[in-house]
Formats: sequence, C-alpha cells, structure tokens
Amino acid sequence: MLHDAPIFGFNAAREDIVRTVVSRVVLTTKDPLLALNDAAYHEVKRLETTRNPEERKELVEWQKTARSIGRMGEGQRRDKLAQVVEQISWDIVGNFDERVYSVSTKLLPPIVTYLLAPRTLVRLVSDPQKLVSLEALDDKVAVEGPIAELRELSRRGTAVYVPTHLSNMDSIVFGYALERAGLPPATYGAGTNLFTNPVLSYFMRNLGAYRVDRRVRHNLYKDVLKTYSSVLLERGYHSLFFPGGTRSRSGGVERRLKLGLMGTAIEAYARTLLAGRERRIYFVPATINYLITLEAETLIADFLAEAGKGRFIIEDDESSRIGRVAAFMRKLFDMQGSVVIRFGAPIDPFGNRVDEAGRSYDKRGREVDPAMYVRDIAGNVTMDPVRDAQYTRELSDEICKSYLTNTVIMSTHVVAAACFERLRRAAHASDLFVVVRQRDAVVVPRDDLAADVVRLRDRLVQLETRGRIVVSDLLRRSSGGDIVERALAAFAGYHALPVLSSRHDGIAIVDPNLLFYYQNRLAAHGMAWDVIAPPGMAPARPVSFENEGVGGAS
Amino acid sequence: MTSPSVGVVGGGPWGRALAKAARRAGSSVVLHTRREQDRHDEGVSMTVDYAAVAKAPLVILAVPSSVVRPVLTALGDHLTGRHLVVHGIRGLGTDGLETVSDVVREQTAVRRAGALGGPVQAGELIRARPSAMIIGSRYPEVIAAVTKNFQSPHLRVWSTPDLKGLEWASALVGCLSIGVGFAEEAGAGPGLVAALISRGVDEAARIMVAAGGEERTMLGLGGYGDLLASIALEDRPEVALGRALAQGVLLEDALSRVQLRIEAVPLIPRVVRFAEERRVQANTFRALCDVLHGARPEMLLERLFAA
Repeated sequence: MLHDAPIFGFNAAREDIVRTVVSRVVLTTKDPLLALNDAAYHEVKRLETTRNPEERKELVEWQKTARSIGRMGEGQRRDKLAQVVEQISWDIVGNFDERVYSVSTKLLPPIVTYLLAPRTLVRLVSDPQKLVSLEALDDKVAVEGPIAELRELSRRGTAVYVPTHLSNMDSIVFGYALERAGLPPATYGAGTNLFTNPVLSYFMRNLGAYRVDRRVRHNLYKDVLKTYSSVLLERGYHSLFFPGGTRSRSGGVERRLKLGLMGTAIEAYARTLLAGRERRIYFVPATINYLITLEAETLIADFLAEAGKGRFIIEDDESSRIGRVAAFMRKLFDMQGSVVIRFGAPIDPFGNRVDEAGRSYDKRGREVDPAMYVRDIAGNVTMDPVRDAQYTRELSDEICKSYLTNTVIMSTHVVAAACFERLRRAAHASDLFVVVRQRDAVVVPRDDLAADVVRLRDRLVQLETRGRIVVSDLLRRSSGGDIVERALAAFAGYHALPVLSSRHDGIAIVDPNLLFYYQNRLAAHGMAWDVIAPPGMAPARPVSFENEGVGGAS
Repeated sequence: MTSPSVGVVGGGPWGRALAKAARRAGSSVVLHTRREQDRHDEGVSMTVDYAAVAKAPLVILAVPSSVVRPVLTALGDHLTGRHLVVHGIRGLGTDGLETVSDVVREQTAVRRAGALGGPVQAGELIRARPSAMIIGSRYPEVIAAVTKNFQSPHLRVWSTPDLKGLEWASALVGCLSIGVGFAEEAGAGPGLVAALISRGVDEAARIMVAAGGEERTMLGLGGYGDLLASIALEDRPEVALGRALAQGVLLEDALSRVQLRIEAVPLIPRVVRFAEERRVQANTFRALCDVLHGARPEMLLERLFAA
C-alpha cells in the first residue's frame, strides 16, 4: 500500500515533469531579455572567481549569453530562455530509486549504527532479526502525533510536510520518521551542501530529493524551483519543505516563515480543479525536537554575531565534519528519547482543519469546500498570485501556532532556561550581551538548581494541560536532580567545551551561549527570556499562572 | 429572481445608508434587518433570513460590535470560502483587542475579509452628499468588489492593503473624538484642540504600529480624515459624550444621555494597557481614561503636557 505513492513512478515521469516546468516558466516569463540578463549577471558574479573547471565552463557560457542576448530577436530569446530553464530544471530535478529506497530503509540504520557506534551493532548482531529493522533507533527516536489519521489521509490527498528546522540532520531524521510512521516518502529540496558528502549525496539523490543551490540568486532560478515544486504537488507527490528557510539560528521555534515554496500549493490545487480532477493538498506542521543539536555552537555563534545576518549560508559547520557527526550520533544512541518528531494536526492551504478523509472544517466545525477559496466572485476557478500569497501568509500563522503547541520540551531546555535565568539575575542588566559575557562566573548550588528546574517543569506541565506545549515523558517523570543530571550528561560528551560543570560547590555555568541556545526553545511560549522575537514582532510575554484564564495571551 | 450582488447585514442607519449607496452605484442589494422598517428603500429587498444575504458574493456587516460574534456565528452557517465579507464596524474585540476581521476568520469559513472606514457618514450616504470612504483588505478581489459595488459620482472609494491598520485607526479615532468633544466643551482654544488632535493622532499611529498596522493608515483617510469629519459633526455620539463629561456629568448618565453604545468607552482602558505592555507612549489615551472617570479638565492638560 505504501508503494502506491506516486513517487514510486517518479523516474518514468521525470522527462514529462521537466517539459511541463520548462513550458510553464517560459510561458509566464514576461520579459525574457530581463530574465536572462538578470540570470547572467548573477551567475557571472557568482562564478567569476571559481577555479573549478566545470564551473569555469559555466562561466564562459554565461558570459557568452550576456554578450549575445542584446542582439537576439524575440524568437531566439525565447529559445535561449527555454534552453536555460531546461538546464536549471535538470540540475534541480531529483531521482527516486525504489531499490535504493528499500535498501536504505532497511540497511541504513544498521550501517550508520556500525559506522558510528560499533558497540551498539554488536548488541544488535546477537539478534539478527533486529539487524534489518529500524528498531535500533526505536527507543532513541520518538514519533508522535495523529499518525493513523495521517496515514489514511496520505492515500486521499497530497501531503506537504512543514517541520521546524534546527539541523542538517533534520531531513534524514524526518525521512526516517515518515518511514517509522508508515507514511510514504516525500520529495524535498535539499541544499547543495548536503550533496557534498558522497554517501549522503547518493542516498539523497535517489530518495527523491531535489537540489536547491542557495548560492544561485537570480529570479529565473527561483521561478523554476517554485514551478517544479508546484508541478510535483499537482501530480500528487508528497513534499517536504522547511518553511523557516534556514536552520533556526537562535534555537527558537520559528515564528515567521518563508512563503515562496508553500505558496505553490494553492496554484497546484487550483490546477487540479481546472483539469477536472481535484486532488486536495494538505499541510502537516511538525516539530523536530532534539535533546542536543548537532550544530548548536556554530548556529548560536552566528546568531549572536550580527543576529543571523553575518553568514546566511553556513557551509562549514559541525555537520560537514564527520567526527562531529559521529560524536553526535553516538550521543543520540546513548540516550533514550533524544529526538522527538511530533506531527501536528493537518490543515488545508487555507488554514482549515482537515480530517482523515480529507474533508476541511472551519473553526466552528462546519465542513468547508476548499475549492471555494480559489473561485472568484463569478464562481470561476482562478490562479491569482497576490490572493494566494495572502492565503499563504494566513496559513503560516496557523503553522506557527501549531509549532508552539507541538514543541516538545526536554531536560536540556529546562535546565538551560533555569541556568540562564540565574545568569540574568546575576548580570543586573537587561542587555543580552552583558548576560552572555558571564563565562564561568556563576555557580548554582545543586539543590537550588534542581528546585528551579522543578518549578519551571511544573509550570510547563500546567501549560501543557492548556494544550500549548508538550513536556517529554522523561522530563515529566523525573526528579529535579535527575533532570539536571540528564542535561549534564547530554551536554558533556558532545559539545566541545563544557556547558555546565559539576563542582564541589554546585553547578558552574560555563558556556552562556549554548545555554542561551537551548533556553530559546521556550522563548516563544513566554516560558524563558524572549530576546529572539523576529523584527516587528512583540516578544512573548511571561505566562501568568496565578489567575487562571487571565494570562491567556502569550 | 437573480442573485443580489451585495448583501448588507444590519438595519440601523449605517446599514441602510450602505445599502442605499450600493443601490445608487447600480448594484442589486439585499438588506438583512430585524427592525420593522418604516419606509422601504427603493430597489433594496429586505430579509430576515441569513441564507438570503449569503446569496450575494459580497456581504457587508453593519451591526453594533457587541453583536458581531453571534451575528457571524449565525451567518457563518451560510457562508463559504468563496464569499467576500467586509465590515463597517468601529471597535475592537469584546474581550481582547482582536479586530472584527479576526472574528470573521474565527466564526466563519471566510478568508477574503475587509473593512470600511474613512470620513463618510451615514447621513451623507442617505442624502447622497458627496463623500469618501476607504476599503482595507489584503485581497485585491475584495477591494475590486467594494469599489465596483459602491463607487458612484457621490461616493469615492479609496483603498489600502493595511486592513489591520484601518480597523485599529477607526477604533482609535472613536476614542480621540471623546477627547476632542471634552476639550472643546471645557473651553480649550483652537491651539490646544489642535495640539490634542495632532498629539493624539501621532500616539494612535504608534500604538497601531505596535499592533501590526502601518503608520500612514492613521495619517490618512481612515485616521485623520475620519477624525476631522467626526469632530465636525454635532451629533457624533463620541463627541457628545465628551461634551457631557466636560460638563461634569457622570459617565453612566452621559452614556444614557447619548442613548447609544459607544465602543470607545470600554476600549480606552484596554488600549492604555496594550500600550503599556508594548512600551508605547500613550499619554493622550491615559488622559482619556481619567476623563472617563470624571477627571477635571486641568487633569487633561497635566497629562498632555507631561514630559
């Protein structure tokens, strides 16, 4: 049944998909001269200093185009445009190899296990049955949410998975979560940097990932990318986008999303209606929660230096250093429940709740026909980019709400928040940089920290009963001392320098940056200091628990 | 019978005026009203049935803000995602500071929402005196539909994509009108009244920005324009309330004297609280709060000129 998903017929359809993309982009490009000039300008600028012989060839090609385009006639320009668009399309387009898929789902976990944590494999070999299953990861990675409903729904409509984004591990972890949940695989746009590792690249390429080169800045490229995504959705391929755009630099839950790729869903849906074969599209928000984040040090350093503007694309970080990945995986295998993927309730592209049969409902529970949203005042189905951008903006608000309610809080987050609050009090200042400058300056007696942690945990549990956050099982069940120990253990073995250090007089707060990173997971909920609200958005206000019902807003 | 192009909900003066304006622009109109109408406006069909209103693709809400929620809940049974819903309601939320278009989203399947604002008054529409109105919506279709169905030689329709700003501007203008009525009655000279208006508008603009609107919306037709029109009107309830308060009448008595629910009264303290939370300066609104609680005119001056 899983193999009914359209992606299993992807390779046969590839040529046809590329043809559709090319004809649509060529048709909708109003001014080929402008589009080609813009592309040539940006590509020449990007490739000018390259030493790579392949790229040098590309550069020469673009320079030639730039010189000749002005003299071309209208027809020639269209041809040139079609040629360029086709090239870009083939560069983006993915591949799906069913054999690689079945092999990887069965063998990838044990192989990874072997490479990264040989001892675990030894344990597994004693039971060969387990070797070819995913159980090795079972108690490390939890997959939660309305899974049965999503499974049913995936047979009736096209899914767009929109998870939060913290790490380059996310696409692999999420792909694994889909497999674990019995959901068909999804195609997704992966940054080119993920294709540099040959092993990873091989799997990415053959599991339906398409290449997104974020170094390419011209508009034509973006148009092709969006059209490609739209065509895939229109044809029923389940897709995965990280709508935050890049990994969260602060460690916080996304509060503002990039609308471009998400917006392609409405056009795709409208086209299925126009073609007389409606296929509904639904979004599945999800959170990917880690006890520790692979790239935490780089990301938070980047956030602090220039609030994320410094280096938009980080190419050289922990995920490209095999040693760090290994250390991370080892940590992951050592600790129970260290990754939680939590699916939220599915919603249609207009923000309505969707049930397992693909029916939409408004906020008051009345059934809604989603086709009505793409009809104009006269009742005709239309494609209107301005309208759809606004629908998508409203959809993104719903997705962000889902992120908040489905954020899973773990011991590292709570301990970080408690420690950071101590740092804040010690600093006597409301300036973030004064607070984070207190490297190894504060020691908190163990019992005090444990008490802080319990207080915070209890407040989180209260918030959870209001349906506004999720507390991980271990966190809920453990004593304050155990929570602190677990966080210490998680931080220790992985992060290069100690985050917290156990001393005779208590716990020393050594690395404020990383504590800031982990406490930020609670910021948008009003449960930790919120200095990471996106520009133009008010910081979350602390939740009040004294007067039930009064402190509703966050 | 062919379907109407505009459905108006609300049989008060404002609803009837809007129905009439649409009629004048050549649209076929159905008006939902629960009141006995003493005279029937020509060309406007009347109904007590929400389903009949929902036959129109464009629905205009002109009911008091206190009943917005129940009206939308009932109307929502008949609305689909295809409907365009536009309201002409001054005021924000009954418990929080949510806008009426937020309530539309919450109570119905409608997404394509908008709001009417600006200086136009019911009386002008009824008597066909030339005036101007502004439609705010992020959806171009909504703007196009309102323009098509309301613009006539007597009514110019301007537009803004800043729906939220327009809704806040309309509500805040209501608050400021009380202050202007109060100051005038208390004997403030033109200089002081001008200062009050300018400072008030400036403050309102900043508050509105904190709420997610755009400053220029407050400075345009939907803010300044609306305020200038309302303070020029003798019978504007907010202005009348301000005058009564300046005469030393207690709030309850003043309210019963104007015999109308004034959205701004409960709104003012909520705006002040909002401004404090967002750390936006709100001296004018704080002064208005004092005025509602019987502060003497000197108090207003003190607040306004506080550094």
